[in-house]
Amino acid sequence: MLAYIFRRLLGVIPVMLIVGIFVFSLLHLAPGDPAAIIAGDNATEANVARIRTSLGLDRPLLEQFASWGWSTLQGDLGISMYSMTPVTTMVQQRMGATFSLAVTTMLVAVTIAITLGVLAAWKAGSLLDRAVMGLSVASFSVPVFVVGYIMVYFVALQWRWLPVQGYMPLSEGFWNWLRHLILPSFALGLAYVALIARITRASMLDVLAEDYIRTASAKGVATVPMLLRHALKNAAVPIITVVGIGVALLISGVVITESVFNVPGVGRLVVDAISRRDYPVIQGVMIIFAGIYVLINLMIDISYCFLDPRIRYS
Amino acid sequence: MVPHGDLSVLDPIWTTQNMAAYHGAMMYDTLFGIDADFKPQPQMVGKTDISADRKTYTFELRPGLKWHDGTAVTARDCVASVRRWQAKDGAGQHLFERVADTPVVDEKTFRIVLKEPYGLLLDALAKTSTPLCVMMKAEIAATDPNTQITKHIGSGPFKFIEAEYRPGSRVVYERNPDYVPRSEPASGIAGGKRVLLDRVIWDIMPDAQTAASALMAGEVDYFEVPPIDILPTLSAAPGVKIEVFNKLGNIGQVRLNHLHPPFNNLAARKAAQLAINQEDIQRAAVGDPKYYQICGSNFTCGSAMGVEDGSEVLMLKAPMAERQAKARELLKQSGYDGKPIVLLHATNIHVMNQTMLVVAQNLRQVGFNVQLASSDWAGVVTRRANQNPPDQGGWNVFYTWSGGNAASSPISLFAHAAIGKKAWFGWPENPEIEKMRTEWAYASDAEARRSVARRINKTMMDYVHDVKTGQWVSPVAYRGDRLRGLLAVPEVVPWWNVERYA
Repeated sequence: MLAYIFRRLLGVIPVMLIVGIFVFSLLHLAPGDPAAIIAGDNATEANVARIRTSLGLDRPLLEQFASWGWSTLQGDLGISMYSMTPVTTMVQQRMGATFSLAVTTMLVAVTIAITLGVLAAWKAGSLLDRAVMGLSVASFSVPVFVVGYIMVYFVALQWRWLPVQGYMPLSEGFWNWLRHLILPSFALGLAYVALIARITRASMLDVLAEDYIRTASAKGVATVPMLLRHALKNAAVPIITVVGIGVALLISGVVITESVFNVPGVGRLVVDAISRRDYPVIQGVMIIFAGIYVLINLMIDISYCFLDPRIRYS
Repeated sequence: MVPHGDLSVLDPIWTTQNMAAYHGAMMYDTLFGIDADFKPQPQMVGKTDISADRKTYTFELRPGLKWHDGTAVTARDCVASVRRWQAKDGAGQHLFERVADTPVVDEKTFRIVLKEPYGLLLDALAKTSTPLCVMMKAEIAATDPNTQITKHIGSGPFKFIEAEYRPGSRVVYERNPDYVPRSEPASGIAGGKRVLLDRVIWDIMPDAQTAASALMAGEVDYFEVPPIDILPTLSAAPGVKIEVFNKLGNIGQVRLNHLHPPFNNLAARKAAQLAINQEDIQRAAVGDPKYYQICGSNFTCGSAMGVEDGSEVLMLKAPMAERQAKARELLKQSGYDGKPIVLLHATNIHVMNQTMLVVAQNLRQVGFNVQLASSDWAGVVTRRANQNPPDQGGWNVFYTWSGGNAASSPISLFAHAAIGKKAWFGWPENPEIEKMRTEWAYASDAEARRSVARRINKTMMDYVHDVKTGQWVSPVAYRGDRLRGLLAVPEVVPWWNVERYA
């Protein structure tokens, strides 16, 4: 197992390299000149050219790539062309908000979805089942920003229960931190509730039709232990796979949620950077995201062994 | 406060982005400032002496001026700052073409010695349009103007709190306890800058609906540029007030590429001028007629230079059908061969997107074969610099706008220049306009300047330097139940004089 994990971790290196080449090429081939944006709308072409030189953007592309690649290998992701802040500092400043949002969203999503999915499977064909599945379709179809605005309108503006927007770090107090995350987590989590609930239901239905469940039931095992200990555990592999995909998808989902709820996270950082072609920031964040994707996938693969002892990696 | 954009660059000289100018006005101070009547008034300067031949200006700094690190502001700092500023500013460059020397007389006194009298010296130093002539410490001002400064020490009414700065999210300022305001009442960016707030926080919100909700819920006090369609909701919310502080607003302009066919031909440019309908554009881009006006001036309607001579064609004096018929005729005369014209279309900025869609339709209606090249604004700013023909990466038409205050001066705004390939994008070339711009700068008083502006405006219209698309203002939404003392200043949001009373 350890050898397998080591091999997978080594596999991160070529992935990052490919991501690096791809992101760098894409950015530099796409139209958009950071020097022109920095100079401002009323700047002369001569001023833009001088800024381009001062940022090193007039050097050959290969030279720029080599310089960036070498710094990245040494752990230096560069500095923002605009604010002159190191990219690592910018990511650190924002990772807390994104991580908090991701964790609370997945907690909300997994808790609600698995409960609903198990109930729907247990009562398959009933009104409850249809309601859960109908709700899933609706949740999956409504865009995050629509859900967000509706929640803001009722919960924050009409009832004044929670703040409209913003983020407070955990250091400002647990409740302060949590109350700023409730609305965005529910808005973002709703789509994942739908996805995970449907997979849970389908997977549970398969397991509930197995002989050993019938046997357990005949032996008088109570419903709840039977559903959770016998059925859910055996239905977990596809659910975990979907949760893993959900975590990966979350990275793109947080962009809209962070904007709608004004959460200063990494998603907004990268969108802002793209709109003004802040190359070091975009490249740095993409490299970090790629690393996170690979690690999430690795963790999911490893978790299969614990959930189903028949699975072995060699 | 929720500003209109992000403060991504902290050097108000390195960039001409408006947000950097806002930042500059918070933490730095200026030698002079424009008052509410657009007249330059002394700010850091205590005493000004102008020689009899009007070629030597002697400035003495007022006592008690200190940098945020506690050291005294000196004449040497000011000379270095003015020299760095002029390298980036249109009015500054025009001024410094006539400057012979800038000697430091003593710790508190310096001079600007001119080769010839120049009536706009104080106006240039006092301007509110970006880049403002802000004062920095000499060692910081020694930074090449094309390299961003890395130390942020000002002498203005607020201190920038660098430790709390989060690009793209939050900017924090605190009251400068050492700041000595002038004794006069605050007016424009002149007069006494009395700071009545301990902290000012700029909360950068990318989503306008969120900012509006935050204002209604009382989580923020000031929303700088709420979209016009949200205004009815905001004005109905308890405690929220809507007001226009920047009365000169913005002026839209369609830039035609003078280097290549068809717009290297005057008849084709005139056809475009006739085809483009300000009313259609403003209705699509702004919507509420309360906030826009049809304007035929190159120098901002409502400003001292807001003349409209020769602008009848833009003022919808003739019915549109008549104008379009005339435009078709002119287009035929121009020899236009029906080759597609490329319009650079920025889709990610509402006003730009809407305007260019209307312009495209206006041009189609008179016979232009229009091809929209859609991208984000970053794509447009790159391509607009390309002087090649449109089929080799160049373009024929793009749209942008200027602040009404900046546009009101024929000199300050580089876009007014008509110096061919060295001009702003579109590269118009007209020596007559250039001669008159210089004449304007030398005019003895405001009335004489207005008279020259009339001639420039007419020539710019006849030559079709560009096509103006109308003028609009952006109202501010703020908590009227909490804030008082807000100042009306074009192109800067001042936070001195403002009191939060609830």
